[in-house]
Amino acid sequence: MLDVKDTAVTDDHADPVIGDPRAFAEKVAAWVPHDIVLKDAWFPLAHGFAVTEKPVRRAVYSQPYFLWREGGKAVAAECHPADGLTASKSAYTDAAGRYPVIEKYGYVWCWLGNPANAAPEHLPSLPYLPEDGGLPLHMLGTVRFDCTAPLSLENLIDLTHADFLHADVVGDEKMDKETVEVFHDTESITMVRTCVNKSVAPVMKLFGGVKSDVQQVRQVIRIYLRSHAAIAYGRFSPGDNVQLFHPCVPETRDRTRLDYTMNTSNVKKNNPFRYVMPKASYKVSRQDSSMTSPQSPRYMRPEKRKDLHSPLDEAGQKYRVLMLALAERQARGDFAHRDNVSADCSEIIGYQKP
Amino acid sequence: MVDGWWALARSEEVTSAKPINVDLAGQPIVLWRDRGGVARALEDRCPHRRAPLSLGCVLGNGMIQCGYHGWTFDGATGHLKDIPNLKSDTKFPALYRANAFAVAESGGFLRVCLDAKAAPPAPASETLPLSGTVNVALDHEHYIAALFDDPSLVLAMRGVRFTPYLMAELAEREGRLVLERSCQWAGPRWPSPFSSDFPITLRISTDPVTGECDLLLRDDAFNPLLSATLAPVPAARGVTQVRWRAKLATRRPGLMAKWLGAGTPLTVLPAIDGAALRVLKPSASIHAAALREAMTTATPQAGAA
Ligand code: FES
Ligand SMILES: [Fe+2]
Repeated sequence: MLDVKDTAVTDDHADPVIGDPRAFAEKVAAWVPHDIVLKDAWFPLAHGFAVTEKPVRRAVYSQPYFLWREGGKAVAAECHPADGLTASKSAYTDAAGRYPVIEKYGYVWCWLGNPANAAPEHLPSLPYLPEDGGLPLHMLGTVRFDCTAPLSLENLIDLTHADFLHADVVGDEKMDKETVEVFHDTESITMVRTCVNKSVAPVMKLFGGVKSDVQQVRQVIRIYLRSHAAIAYGRFSPGDNVQLFHPCVPETRDRTRLDYTMNTSNVKKNNPFRYVMPKASYKVSRQDSSMTSPQSPRYMRPEKRKDLHSPLDEAGQKYRVLMLALAERQARGDFAHRDNVSADCSEIIGYQKP
Repeated sequence: MVDGWWALARSEEVTSAKPINVDLAGQPIVLWRDRGGVARALEDRCPHRRAPLSLGCVLGNGMIQCGYHGWTFDGATGHLKDIPNLKSDTKFPALYRANAFAVAESGGFLRVCLDAKAAPPAPASETLPLSGTVNVALDHEHYIAALFDDPSLVLAMRGVRFTPYLMAELAEREGRLVLERSCQWAGPRWPSPFSSDFPITLRISTDPVTGECDLLLRDDAFNPLLSATLAPVPAARGVTQVRWRAKLATRRPGLMAKWLGAGTPLTVLPAIDGAALRVLKPSASIHAAALREAMTTATPQAGAA
């Protein structure tokens, strides 16, 4: 299913998002996320702690990855060591059947694509995760989504859904004002949602010691398109900031694995929110899956009827168009990264390092 | 599929508390009741991001709200009426709508026609009190053929034994497909191949489009003993969803006829015996397709009674 082509830079540098609105709308409507397979990307395939001497198996688009440690160093191979090198080895691994690997931010990242193009500067910047990992296990977890990965990310970048689907965790749609701003380059999209006097998140009221009924909210979702990995950063006043790393690994085209990190080390040790919030993912992810799972088969094939949009959907629509632009570029054999995903994005997401 | 009135729910299955999902072959449909108790049917697919509307809720004003991003639709027309997060009273263009289907409710069934402009079928005169719904893993056409060829594969009537003998083979009568099967009472009896007369018959009258059947069990004095409506609907993945209603006659002469009421008079089986079905020889059903074909081309608008 996968094939590796040489990187050939194409000269089409027009921004598909700021171009002709009709062409933009057509791209939005042509969204078949099931068919999007992006390559030359780092995928966070396992929490660092999950990789030991004994190989564990992971997958990206069904491509097998066996991860283990040799002398403490994480390695990834296409074949299980007990199975030996098979003749059907793909072009994604070197002569020994090994993938490029980087361990950073508490994850073992593996490259999918031409190994010659694997470079550390293509690994996304995650400002609030310690580069050497080491966060306590209670801040880490795994959940799965019964849908194609881009749908999970489209879900995430449209936070209107949280007011309905997760109202019992993060509060409902009652607020005075909501604004959405969207920034993008060719490799990432960032959405900033600001809510004035929003219903307080029940999880903060119940466990976070927040007493008021409303709070000021600024939520940022930043998606690294190729890696299908997202930053979800929320600032709540009153309340504690929420620092979630939300990588959607497309194990297959219709199932998604999320090895998340909810870094609550900013929350006081005696505040139960520090321990409860990372566990909220179990509930929240099931709520998301209840919608994205029935959605997924409905996005497997081109559809004559166009989705309808509201002005609040700007981010989701741009996400679609940017993903399609990358896919089209890769189809033409152009795998070059035109923007640097590893540059520190603290300022973009409004995060101040402590 | 498009011109039939399909019994997609029993009346009691649809409330204003929670929308329900049903389907007609590949078409998912959401059903609920608005504030006035009127049943509504929309395509179970939000035009925003294709989420099933049946996962949402019915608002106090009777409209349905999608559970994903809160888009709110009017049940009669399917028009989008509100996007709560927009916090504005904007009217949405007519294009902003979910597909609406025609609904008609009578006799304890909620029937849906995919053609929103279809004329409603004639209302039923009464609502039969007993009812149920089963999901059978057999497609619609074979389900009806099984009912025609051997009713015991799909249902049971208390104390009734269906014989292989028909009093009248399947034929068209006033726009319906009708057959009448001879039956015996259970217990030690002279075997049916050697019986001269039978004490009861089961008449099956079927709508040629939907396959909805009226069943009538009568004795040899033409006393109706048990009447029922069986509405098999082609659902997803080749499943047939069967909703049924039945009524036992109050006056039932004879011991066995009385015995009919001593427990559950009618059971519609939730599963079919595959081994028996595979070897069942086609008999009554043999001309069903040809008859149906002739009838539906002659009368384009044949609704359920
Ligand atoms: S999918 Fe229904 S409101 Fe978004
Ligand atoms: Fe969500």
